[in-house]
Amino acid sequence: MRRFKITVNGHAYEVEVEEEGERPSGGRSQHHVSHARHEPDPAAARPAEAAGPGEPILAPLPGTVLDVKVSAGQTVASGQVLLVLEAMKMENEIVAPRAGTVKELHAKKGQSVTTGDLLLVIG
Amino acid sequence: MDSERDRELERRRQQVRAGGGEARQAKQRQQGKWTARQRLAALFDPDSFQELGMFVEHRSAEFGMADTEAPGDGVVTGFGQVDGRLVYAFAQDFTVLGGSLGEMHARKIHAIQDLALKSGAPIVAIADSGGARIQEGIDSLNGYGEIFRRNTMASGVIPQLSVVVGPSAGGAVYSPALTDFVLMAEGIGQMYITGPQVIKAVTGEDVTHEALGGAETHARKSGVAHLTFPDEPALFAGVKHLLSYLPSNNLASPPAAPAADPDPAAAAQLGNVVPDDPNKPYDVRQVILGLVDQGTFLEVQPGYAQNMVVGFGRLAGRVVAWCANQPRILAGCLDIDASDKLARFVRFADAFNLPLVTLVDTPGYLPGTAQEYGGIIRHGAKVLYAYSEASVAKISVVLRKAYGGAYLAMCSKSLGADLALALPTAEIAVMGPEGAANIIFRSEIERADDQDAMRKRLVAEYRNRFSSPYVAAARQFVDQVVTAEELRPVLISALWALGEKGEDRPAKKHGNIPL
Repeated sequence: MRRFKITVNGHAYEVEVEEEGERPSGGRSQHHVSHARHEPDPAAARPAEAAGPGEPILAPLPGTVLDVKVSAGQTVASGQVLLVLEAMKMENEIVAPRAGTVKELHAKKGQSVTTGDLLLVIG
Repeated sequence: MDSERDRELERRRQQVRAGGGEARQAKQRQQGKWTARQRLAALFDPDSFQELGMFVEHRSAEFGMADTEAPGDGVVTGFGQVDGRLVYAFAQDFTVLGGSLGEMHARKIHAIQDLALKSGAPIVAIADSGGARIQEGIDSLNGYGEIFRRNTMASGVIPQLSVVVGPSAGGAVYSPALTDFVLMAEGIGQMYITGPQVIKAVTGEDVTHEALGGAETHARKSGVAHLTFPDEPALFAGVKHLLSYLPSNNLASPPAAPAADPDPAAAAQLGNVVPDDPNKPYDVRQVILGLVDQGTFLEVQPGYAQNMVVGFGRLAGRVVAWCANQPRILAGCLDIDASDKLARFVRFADAFNLPLVTLVDTPGYLPGTAQEYGGIIRHGAKVLYAYSEASVAKISVVLRKAYGGAYLAMCSKSLGADLALALPTAEIAVMGPEGAANIIFRSEIERADDQDAMRKRLVAEYRNRFSSPYVAAARQFVDQVVTAEELRPVLISALWALGEKGEDRPAKKHGNIPL
């Protein structure tokens, strides 16, 4: 059993990690996460919700980025096509879920992505 | 109103109609909420509502309840007319003990559920309640259980609608969940099993009531809500719109309406919506709008599993249950959520005599470990089951891609479609041309000097030979190939031809749908 202290969005967590094959101690689940509630960094943003850094746009299915239609910093309207992802033999249009600006642009033309990969962030 | 006894009756009526009193009603209004009686007034035709059990009182003497007045015991029940049709309803009154459900409150609901079922009329449940009345203990718990049992008995016999316009927490959520449709108002209705405080205590997650169980959450993430509205006036107009497509019971026909032409702009574009290029996405709702009588399409669960479109719409006045793959979302793939959404809609349509028209354009099932581990096998099986089981008129139209197992699932002739149509753009095959060519011509491709060129040539050859509606039509897996412009008149005459369709099923207690 090894212990790690990790901080996610300002919340400190103590994580116990047990290698498979190791005997679980006292019948507890093998991956036990306890919310340590250590002094959260007051400067840190609240996790998720509106106060977060923006809305991440993730790849809905695995494929290849065929075309990126926006650039970083650009203002986009709700429903505007952000990029085209070729997947399942279809040119899937990834559209902005709301109006905003492109705060981060991670996708590159020709790049292969899998489900859940961060394509860009709308702020 | 001259005798003393008449005046007594009127005084008692006034007392019950006042609900929890002016102060609590004002608070309700401040929150953008209507009162229970306002809601019923919005639902029913003027002066048609007959209230039942208005003088019911609770029997609790524990915890200071003996001296607590609860007009109507916190729920208004009765029947009336919605657009001239009989509908039963109950509305919980949050101004009376927080709309909490006690023994007699529950009994009023049971009585109205029983009457609705016996009379074969839809029931609308309007939920605005803090939950179980703790002072009445296990009697209130029993009250919920008996509601659930009645919901289940009425399922598939009368349409049951749940309107959530307030809190609905814990066990209370399961009555809406058992009914056919859940309608919510944004910022007003909230549904969850365990609330934010409990979640915070157990998992440490911070979540607001609205983010946890608001209309947006249930419309997009959970799929619990079928329809959501910005406010209560829009919501109750939506309830009436939904009822206008539904028959009163499982032995009745859906309400007819005069035939109307489709939206002229959408109809004019119908031939241009489906691209020839199988790689190009489009919005399948444009096809539906080009087919249905103008202004009659009501999409159900529009924000959930958007790769599948389901809804009600009329063809020459006749109500049709529409099902369609949506190529612009997830390439139109079938996945777990889309399968659940489709299967439940098909079963509703079948239970209530609504003919099914299925528009097919899907490359297959969504690949990935999340889908496999999530049980796409058992969820996808629901679609096969629901279509096979359905005995209403079943018409399928292959718009473009229809490959393999997903083709079979989408109301294929093999699953009992009465009529299978296809557009000239249809590609009906055991799998997509690329995959098929790679398997069939593997050795030719491997032997070629220029493997890519050979693969391309053989894919094209396969596509020309097999990716059309005509191979399927040659075996009569497709009955008719029609153009997009011909589709509406063909569908209208097909529905007419199948109007008296009936199919028997073997007698059984019930099937065992893979839930």
